[in-house]
Amino acid sequence: MWGGLRWWFTRNREERDLDEEIRSHLAIEARERAWQGEPPESAKAAAQRAFGNVTRIREETRESWGWAEAERFLEDVRYGLRILRKAPAWTFVVGATLALGIGLSTAIFSVVYGVALKALPYPEPDRLMALWNGAPLGAYQRFNVNAPNWLNWRQRSRSFEDIALARLIANFNLTGDGVPERLQGARTSWNLPRVLRVQPLMGRVFTEAEQNSDAKVAVLSYWLWQRRFGGDSMILGRKILLNGEIFEVIGVMPKEYQYPTAQFELWTPLFVPPRELNEVGLNYQYVAIGRLAHGVSLAQAQAEMSNIARQYADEHPQTNWLPRGGFVDVAVEPLLLSNTLQLRTTMWVLLSAVGCLLLTGCLNLGTLLIARAGARAREMSVRAALGASSGRLRRQMLAEVIPLSAIGGAGGILLAWGLLKIFQPLLPDQMPRVESVGLSAPVMAFAMGISMLVMALAAILPSRIAARSDLAAALQHNSRSVAGGSRARAVLVVAQVAITIVLLIDGALFARSLAAVLRVNPGFSTQGILTMHLAVTRARHPQDSQVSDFYDRILERIRRVPGVVSAGIVNRLALSGIDQTFAVTFEGKPDLGAFDIDSRSSTPGYFQAAGIPIKQGRDFTAHDGAESLPVGIIDEQLARRVFGGEDPIGKRFRIPIPDQPWVQIIGVVGHILNQTLEKDVRPQVYWPESQRTQDRAALVIRASGPPELLASAVVAQIRSVDPDQPVYDVRTMNEWMSRTLSTRNLMTWLVGFFGGASVVLACMGLYGVVSYATGLRMREFGIRLALGATVGHVRTLVLGHAGKLVLGGCLAGIAIAFFSSKAIGSLLYGVSSWDGIAIGSATGLLITIALVASAGPARRATRTDPVAALRLE
Amino acid sequence: MSQEKLDVLQGTLDLLILRTLQWGPQHGHGIGQAIRAKSDELLQVEHGSLYPALHRLRREGLIESEWGVSDNNQRAKFYRLTQAGKKKLVAEESKWKLFVKAVAKVLRTQE
Repeated sequence: MWGGLRWWFTRNREERDLDEEIRSHLAIEARERAWQGEPPESAKAAAQRAFGNVTRIREETRESWGWAEAERFLEDVRYGLRILRKAPAWTFVVGATLALGIGLSTAIFSVVYGVALKALPYPEPDRLMALWNGAPLGAYQRFNVNAPNWLNWRQRSRSFEDIALARLIANFNLTGDGVPERLQGARTSWNLPRVLRVQPLMGRVFTEAEQNSDAKVAVLSYWLWQRRFGGDSMILGRKILLNGEIFEVIGVMPKEYQYPTAQFELWTPLFVPPRELNEVGLNYQYVAIGRLAHGVSLAQAQAEMSNIARQYADEHPQTNWLPRGGFVDVAVEPLLLSNTLQLRTTMWVLLSAVGCLLLTGCLNLGTLLIARAGARAREMSVRAALGASSGRLRRQMLAEVIPLSAIGGAGGILLAWGLLKIFQPLLPDQMPRVESVGLSAPVMAFAMGISMLVMALAAILPSRIAARSDLAAALQHNSRSVAGGSRARAVLVVAQVAITIVLLIDGALFARSLAAVLRVNPGFSTQGILTMHLAVTRARHPQDSQVSDFYDRILERIRRVPGVVSAGIVNRLALSGIDQTFAVTFEGKPDLGAFDIDSRSSTPGYFQAAGIPIKQGRDFTAHDGAESLPVGIIDEQLARRVFGGEDPIGKRFRIPIPDQPWVQIIGVVGHILNQTLEKDVRPQVYWPESQRTQDRAALVIRASGPPELLASAVVAQIRSVDPDQPVYDVRTMNEWMSRTLSTRNLMTWLVGFFGGASVVLACMGLYGVVSYATGLRMREFGIRLALGATVGHVRTLVLGHAGKLVLGGCLAGIAIAFFSSKAIGSLLYGVSSWDGIAIGSATGLLITIALVASAGPARRATRTDPVAALRLE
Repeated sequence: MSQEKLDVLQGTLDLLILRTLQWGPQHGHGIGQAIRAKSDELLQVEHGSLYPALHRLRREGLIESEWGVSDNNQRAKFYRLTQAGKKKLVAEESKWKLFVKAVAKVLRTQE
């Protein structure tokens, strides 16, 4: 900026200086002549004449200043603009191609950047690490942390400045002043703000003493403070009702404090009961994050933590040495990476897919520019003949391309902005930091970089061809002189087709995976069911029996709502994304060992409402109370694995921990997919809510009509039992399911869309090449027709040319797809990565469209009038 | 006085300008006049090459310029040799002499 200004000023000064210098020269000359006796008037004119062409001299002097280059370049750009204006259709096509490629890739990049690349909003974010338990040889790659882990790690590790602990699953019912609301908050250790290095905006954060004494203090997020309390400056010290208990607000955090995500609005002390601190091997329900000490690398920290884990396993062999060998290790990974682990592959797929599209666009541009270079070959050759250097010509091509790249870049950024506006709300809510997606400075830099790169790439080829073209031939206006250009175009088209095939095949694989996932029977019904959640306010219902009684009363009322067929409660819906697992052992089957199971607590009526069939025995009833015999229901998969042909009813199981009772099996129900539709992880065991009570409840309501219409009536019934009970996440089961599919859906549609756009571009390229080549061969076709060739034969010639290009591209593309589909293998479901149907349909589709695209030129070729064609030259 | 007038050879103009400036600061017009006078009107300096050459030499740091007033009270831009210019002049002069000698030898053997 300053350089430019200075340049301008210096330049202007020198300009004025030169003018004055020339004026003074003329004056001196005139005066000398006058002195020798010439009349002043003619002396002046003579001086002028003797000096010569003032403009030219000024021009030549200016050149010696070294600015001529820049000026000539601007001139070229101006010339380029003029040419673009003269061919508006061409300019539009090129600009649109560019804008599409740049816009889409910028939009995708902005998502990837916001979610996965942008640094976390804390000081020195690279030093923040997530710590997990890991048992690579066991059933779990990675699992949560328990309180003894935390104590142990904090005590023994030297690699970390500090390690904090948090329980992320915490529901807070905020009641009093205003609508009751369920807030997502986290219980955290006192040192979390220290690990993240964030100071409160107002007030203070809680202390270690407050954590250990379970003090009722709360720290609010900036947005909660704004939203619920109107940014009240007197908020500190205010008492609020959380889960029916009085909490004192002691601090407000700044905007950037969003741990673990922006959805969390509240933090309270993580009180760990002293008993739990000694329960090695239980209650893996926390996450740990640490800040690396200065100068410690990730590898060093990992090595140290593995040592600590090994040592710890030796001290606690029962829990931390695994039966299958190996010990419970610690995995250290960057916090940012850890947050986006599940999305990483998807994002790479989307980035590569949009990259492919961009590349096809780029190649297309190449063909268009070559075509134009061909059309302008004569002009270029004339200029070359008049002495323009090939470097000069290349510079000129580049200068003409710059306005194009500006149009494309601007259009692309506009398109990306629009796409984000439309699609940002549709992004899957599993994506962390979705709110930080936007056209930030790095994203804009990306867009501009891409557009320049694309144009540079697209411009290099045609200018090379133009520079190489044979002068004499071009000057004679012999159309074959640009045959080199047409060969280059053919290569570009083949490359375009190849990339398109790769996109289409991978898109087809994703589509087939999605279809396969949609065909999966989850084991419960998804139609005609309404779901909603509530978290019980424990202060109002301190006893477990009160909670289950509360559930019973709610259900009783809901069942009376007209349109409700049945209703039940389970503590977590299937596909909730949160595991709750136990190990259970069966009486009299010691050799089978422990079974890893999904644990769920349900009320009577849940199975019926959810459409899970009862295969044997019975459902829980009102008679299965807290004081009666402990009972449980297992799923058919577990029944088969444990009992084979035996009747499981009446048999007993238990959680293999001292003081856990034996539980009698009263029923067997259908197996469901609890984690994802794509993987069957564990069998299920159900306990009655009355005997294993859970504070969080998912209501499952089967409706006779459209389920969404029942929502308000059901919520009203809950409020009639307890007006302060917040209800959240009200959705039909169908919506709940599609939420779990949203990432796969998004990926499939986007890759499909990129494939489609790529087909259009490739066909444009193909059309251009074929119709150009056909144009060159018009005379040949005319002669052939005149000599008696059939119309069909000529058509075959043209289509054959197109077919050769497409087939070459297809073969190359299939070869590339062999590797690309291997790379996406982990994202496929129910289809092999080398799938005949995907390859066949992609290739078939492309060939069909390509033939349609070249039908136009073929028809034109057959309509050639032999006489006219012969006379053409 | 010969009617024949010679155009200054390219490359030698720089030398002539530097040499002219050795006698003291001079403006563009004066430099042109001086070259013509010293060459007994044989050498004709085109203004079209004089000014670009002056600006180029200034850019190369061999001469520097300053506005001043000429003998007949005319405001004019004066050029003066710099230290680098003086060195360059010495080097160019000996090079030129060598060149002339060489060319003369070649021409003599031709005869």
